[in-house]
Order: sequence, then C-alpha cells, then structure tokens
Amino acid sequence: MTPRVKVPAAVLLALLLQQALLTDVRVAGVAPDAMLLVAVAAGVAAGAEAGAIVGFVAGLTLDLFLQTPFGLSSLVFSVVGYGVGSVAAVFVRASWWIPVATAVLAGMAGEVAFALAGAMVGEGHLVSPRLVTIALVVGVANGVLAVPAVRLMRWALEGGGVRVHAR
Amino acid sequence: MAVYRRSTRQRFTLVLLVLLSVTILTLDYRGQGSGIIGVLKDGAHDAFAPVQSAAEAVVRPIGDVFNGIFRYDDLEAENARLRQQLEEAEGATLEARDAQRQLRALLDLNGLTSVGDIASVSARVVSASPSNFEQALVLDRGTDDGVAAGMPVVAGAGLVGRVIDVSRTRSTVLLLTDPSFRVGVRFLDDDVAVATGEGPGTPLTVDLVEPSTPVKKGDLVFTSGLQQSVFPPGIPVGKVRRARATPGALRQEVTVDPVVDIGRLRFVKVLQWSPGAAVAGPREAAP
Repeated sequence: MTPRVKVPAAVLLALLLQQALLTDVRVAGVAPDAMLLVAVAAGVAAGAEAGAIVGFVAGLTLDLFLQTPFGLSSLVFSVVGYGVGSVAAVFVRASWWIPVATAVLAGMAGEVAFALAGAMVGEGHLVSPRLVTIALVVGVANGVLAVPAVRLMRWALEGGGVRVHAR
Repeated sequence: MAVYRRSTRQRFTLVLLVLLSVTILTLDYRGQGSGIIGVLKDGAHDAFAPVQSAAEAVVRPIGDVFNGIFRYDDLEAENARLRQQLEEAEGATLEARDAQRQLRALLDLNGLTSVGDIASVSARVVSASPSNFEQALVLDRGTDDGVAAGMPVVAGAGLVGRVIDVSRTRSTVLLLTDPSFRVGVRFLDDDVAVATGEGPGTPLTVDLVEPSTPVKKGDLVFTSGLQQSVFPPGIPVGKVRRARATPGALRQEVTVDPVVDIGRLRFVKVLQWSPGAAVAGPREAAP
C-alpha cells in the first residue's frame, strides 16, 4: 500500500480513537488531541513537508466535526507539522526522548496557536484562562502517546518516495 | 544544492497549504456554515456515525475503566449525595403533583401552554465534541427524526443547550457551559437578566442584574422566554451559587450552577419548538 492509502487510513484511525475513546478520557476536563498528535508524529517521522501535508489533511478532517471555522484546524496543524518536521530533522537522532519532548512542546504550542488563530478570525472566546490547562494536558498526553503515534506515521509514510527518518 | 531544492520545495508546500486553508476559511465565513461546506459536514457526520457507534461498543469499557480508577472517590461521594437528594425529593413529590394539577387547570383556562406540553424527541448522547475548545455534544437523532437547528435541548432537571448543527442522523448541541452560549433568564420575582457560559465545571455568570433584584444563594433561575428568545419560558437553568451587590455598583455579581450535570448526560430531550428565528450558532448574537 502506498502512503496515499495508508496516510488517510491513519488519520481516520486517529479520528475514530478521538471520537470513540479519547473524548471520554479527560484530565481536568481536557481530552487528548489525537489529530494534532498525528500531524506532530508525521513531522517527527518524515520531516517538514510530510508534517505539513498530514497536518493539513488531519486538520481538515477534524474541522468536519467541529463548529469552529472550517479550515482553522488545517491551517494550524499544517504549520505545526511543518515546524516539528524542521526541528526533528536536526535533533531526532540525538536521543530517544527528543521526539517525546518535541511532541510535548508541539502539543502545547499547537493548542495555543489554535486559540490565537481562532481569535484572529472572530472566535475570541477560544482564548481564556482555561487555555493553560488545555495546553498542559494535551502536551503531556502527546508525550505519552508519542512513541506509538510516530511508529504509526512512520509506517503510513514509508514507500512512495517519502523519506522517513531512521529509528 | 539538493538540500536547497528540498528546503525550497518544503517551504513552497507549506505556503500552498496555508493559502488553501485561508481560502477555505474565507469560503466558510462567506457561506455562514451552509452551502457546499455544510453539505460536506452533514455527509461526514452521517457517514461516520455507524463506524463510530461500532467502535464505541468496543472501546467504551476502556473509558469506563479509566473513569472507575481515577474518579472512584468522586463517584462514591456523588452517590451518597444523590441518595440524600432522592429522599428529599420523594417528600416533595406529592406537593408538586397537586401544584401541577392546579397549574394545568389555570393554563387551560387562559389558553396558555407550558414547557411540558411541547412535543419532544428523545435522544442518546453519542459523544462529546472532539475539540477542547467547544462544549458540545453529539446526539443520535437528526432531521430524519424531526430535529432542526435552533431547537432547545433539556434533560430531566433542566436546560442542557441548543441544537446548532443537524444532519440526517446526527445533531450537535451547544451546551450552556460553552463560553459562546447565552440565554435570557428570570429570577423568582420575574426580574430578567442574561446568563453566559464560562466553560466546563465553571458556574454561569449572570449579567444585567439590578442591585435591587432580591437574589440569594440557592434561588432557581429559569429561561425568560422574552420576545425573540430562542428558548421557551420556564425551563430551569440553574441555582444561584453567589450573589454579591457591591455598594455603589450598577449591577450585582451573580453566578449560577447549572441544574443539569453536564458531565454525566446520557439521554436528553430535544424540544420541537421554534420562535421562528434563524438558525442559531456559535457566531450569532445573544437571544
């Protein structure tokens, strides 16, 4: 199977897990964000371009089920995926915990970026004191789920001319 | 040189995706949630529904285990509290039945309707919103079952929220705890104000309460149902948690706890009631 088949399948699997399981697994009222994690994991696994494309696809898929402006998640996730991929290309081979730390920081940054981008397009209520809690919980959850997520996206992006980073 | 070409191509890809996202945002903003994007969303909800239902049947025990491990103490305390409330409620039931009989007779005499007379659709909560920035629920009823956008949603104790999006088989409910949710309310002495959601687990704030309005902790507030309101009058919204009148201030500071336990909702009722207003969503103004 080529990445053109495996990547959408991985994104749909993440959406299924998010809707069926992760929305019920809450800490301080905040659930993990599997769709953002998929974008981050793609950047760690295969670099900036893959992170941006997977982030766009995952964000657009998530936007189908949200009431926030359509296209907001795809905008934020593609930028986060690109940023993670740019950083990961330099550091990912240094130590095993680097991808985990990257996922934590990217998760936090992604949630903050989503709220700020939403405020810029008229959804000012997204920026609130609760944003701190959301960023922390999502960041930690991303760190916990980073290893299996990166393995999933490495499998999804292998083949078809995509350069996947060695383990 | 190869590295330069690769980084240039990566930046080009990012710019292209960003521009595409901005274009989609603009189209959605201009379409106000309807049009081709609305059709895509509705189709996605309906297509994903059976897959999600099947997956939930498999993974729900995992979520239950998580809640059982990390929330056992909370559940035990709540069980004791609810048992006490049940005992108190049983004692008041007989009084309430007689009062209800008198109310119905009075309403019939004057040709008025009460909330209990409004036709409704029972629905099961399928999932919460996948976003941490929305306080919303997805129900297993849609247009095929008579649900329409803008309809109020209630549970046994009181107001839950309002339907903001609906497909053939699913509907999305904006909860009253969402920061974009507003509802006109009235106190027991018929003074009116506006309640606003402040996020999960946080009391609603009630604005425009006059200093002279008699408000005390424990008072019930109901939907006001004033002209152009998207909610019928008389639905319990919450109980006053705090009411503070600062000397010299133009308004009282009032917070209200929702009467409905939003976190434990499994079944709700969608009231098939509409004042004739346009579809209400997160971007629209207060009622």
